[in-house]
Amino acid sequence: MSAADTLRTARLGFYYMLLNLKTIYRQPAALFFVVAFPILFLVIFSSLLTFEIGIPEQAGANVPVVKFSQYFVAGIMGVAIFGTSFNLLGTSLAIQQFDGTLKQLAATPLPRASFFLGLVGTALTYTFLQLVIMLILGVAAYGIDLPDASGWLTLIWIVLLGVPAGCVLGIAITKIIPSANAAPAVIQAPFIILQFISGVFFTLASLPTWLQWVAGLFPLRWIAQGLRSVFLPDAYRYAEPGMNWQLDIAAIVLAIWIVVGLGLAVLTFKWDRSG
Amino acid sequence: MPPAISIKGVTKRYGPVTAVDAVDLEIEAGQVYALLGPNGAGKTTLIEILEGYRQRDAGDVSVLGYDPQRQRGELNRRVGIVLQRSTPMEGLTPREMLNFSARLYDHPMNTDDALELVGLTEHADRRGSKLSGGQKRRLDLATSVIGNPDLIFLDEPTTGFDATARRQAWQVVRGLTERGATVILTTHYLDEAEHLAQKIGLIKDGRIIFEGDIAGLRREMETETRISWQPPTGLDLSDLLPEWSDLQQGADGRLSLPTQTPTLHLARLIDWARERGLEEIPELQVERPDLEEMYLELVDDSQELEQAEATEAR
Repeated sequence: MSAADTLRTARLGFYYMLLNLKTIYRQPAALFFVVAFPILFLVIFSSLLTFEIGIPEQAGANVPVVKFSQYFVAGIMGVAIFGTSFNLLGTSLAIQQFDGTLKQLAATPLPRASFFLGLVGTALTYTFLQLVIMLILGVAAYGIDLPDASGWLTLIWIVLLGVPAGCVLGIAITKIIPSANAAPAVIQAPFIILQFISGVFFTLASLPTWLQWVAGLFPLRWIAQGLRSVFLPDAYRYAEPGMNWQLDIAAIVLAIWIVVGLGLAVLTFKWDRSG
Repeated sequence: MPPAISIKGVTKRYGPVTAVDAVDLEIEAGQVYALLGPNGAGKTTLIEILEGYRQRDAGDVSVLGYDPQRQRGELNRRVGIVLQRSTPMEGLTPREMLNFSARLYDHPMNTDDALELVGLTEHADRRGSKLSGGQKRRLDLATSVIGNPDLIFLDEPTTGFDATARRQAWQVVRGLTERGATVILTTHYLDEAEHLAQKIGLIKDGRIIFEGDIAGLRREMETETRISWQPPTGLDLSDLLPEWSDLQQGADGRLSLPTQTPTLHLARLIDWARERGLEEIPELQVERPDLEEMYLELVDDSQELEQAEATEAR
């Protein structure tokens, strides 16, 4: 691929992203269920649950006490990072496969790479908006402490790996969606289960080991754990499996998902199921 | 100038059904060519092979010099495609859709010109979900030509339209063809092919059974005369049957014989009747159906292939 081709691919991907952003912006249902939902969860849970969370035994003395909202913001941001891309892409692509929109798109010179880049860009933009709103709300209304410099860095790379991982999984799951009407159900079922077993609402340690292993196969568990390293004091790592934030494993698992998922997505993706 | 489309021996099967059966076709650049035929004749399968949506089982295909199966990316830069189903993005306006589409091509038309060409200027800023069926179809047409394509595919552009909407759509299609692009259009309306195309390919059961202009089609199809009569009860027909294997019997018992040599066959029928002492053959008729009647007879909607296509697409 020449430099001009690469530039064209990037440029058209950008325009496709703008088109998608606009389309979703004008769909109240998508805006509410996908974009606003995690923010609402943050508001509801942080308002209802105001207790402080337990300090791990091994942490020793001088460990600051942490409010539930400080713990929960990590998990629910994980849901935003993984879930927005997974939901948004899975649902809208399945619908577009069945109604012929993608068949029409396949007739245009939009490069395949631009198409996928545009989708990832769309998810990244909406996720970024969600996170900014969550941080502002969290700080202003629920007294959440902002991360330190290394925490910000971790947050950034988790977003940059987590969103594409959610995207490729969203693209891949369209394969098992039998009809446009079934799309929301087929997407929500695994997503809700993942939220409960990935340490978003309950700590990982409270789950049986085998369930921790199941959760460990998917991105959300690692995203949530990485975000706890961003928002919780370091001593709280003793409450994690292996008494460690396991950021290295998180990066590897997400990278594998992106590579394998992208391969799967490209190989199995159907442009037209409208027949 | 090399032909815009040149294919040889193209075949496509869906299980036991042969949708396209060893078709050869050559379409000159700048021509409007109509693939005419009943539902399930193989029109859409053939056009989708040319567009690159479906893979052929055998044969050679060259579309603007490209093989759509292997070089679809290059081909897409120079063709415009109107699919059978219209799917504008509901949240977007025609202007937004066309602005986006224009960016995908190297030498696009101006969005305003494209809107003007299809008569959508007034509705340019209305959301896709608020457009009427005809307006959506016109947006499809505009989207397909915004890139100034050398070749335009129109798959049943007016199916489901009322008479007025069809006439308007024809106007638009004529406008497109005046720009010099090659157009290949599928339709099951004879009058649509007659109005729009310089050349017609009549397709039935996956084969092209006639190719030429409408006058040629008329000559070809109107040659057959039909002799029909009501056979009196109790007369044995068995000695006629081996000779007239084309003899058909309608639900009312009426016999009819399609033939190119009516005089000869009529004489034979009269002899046969005389031999049996029959002075008058009941309800004897000799008629020449016109093209429209012949065509309607041909369009005997076989649903089999459509189902096979639908299954394959899943």
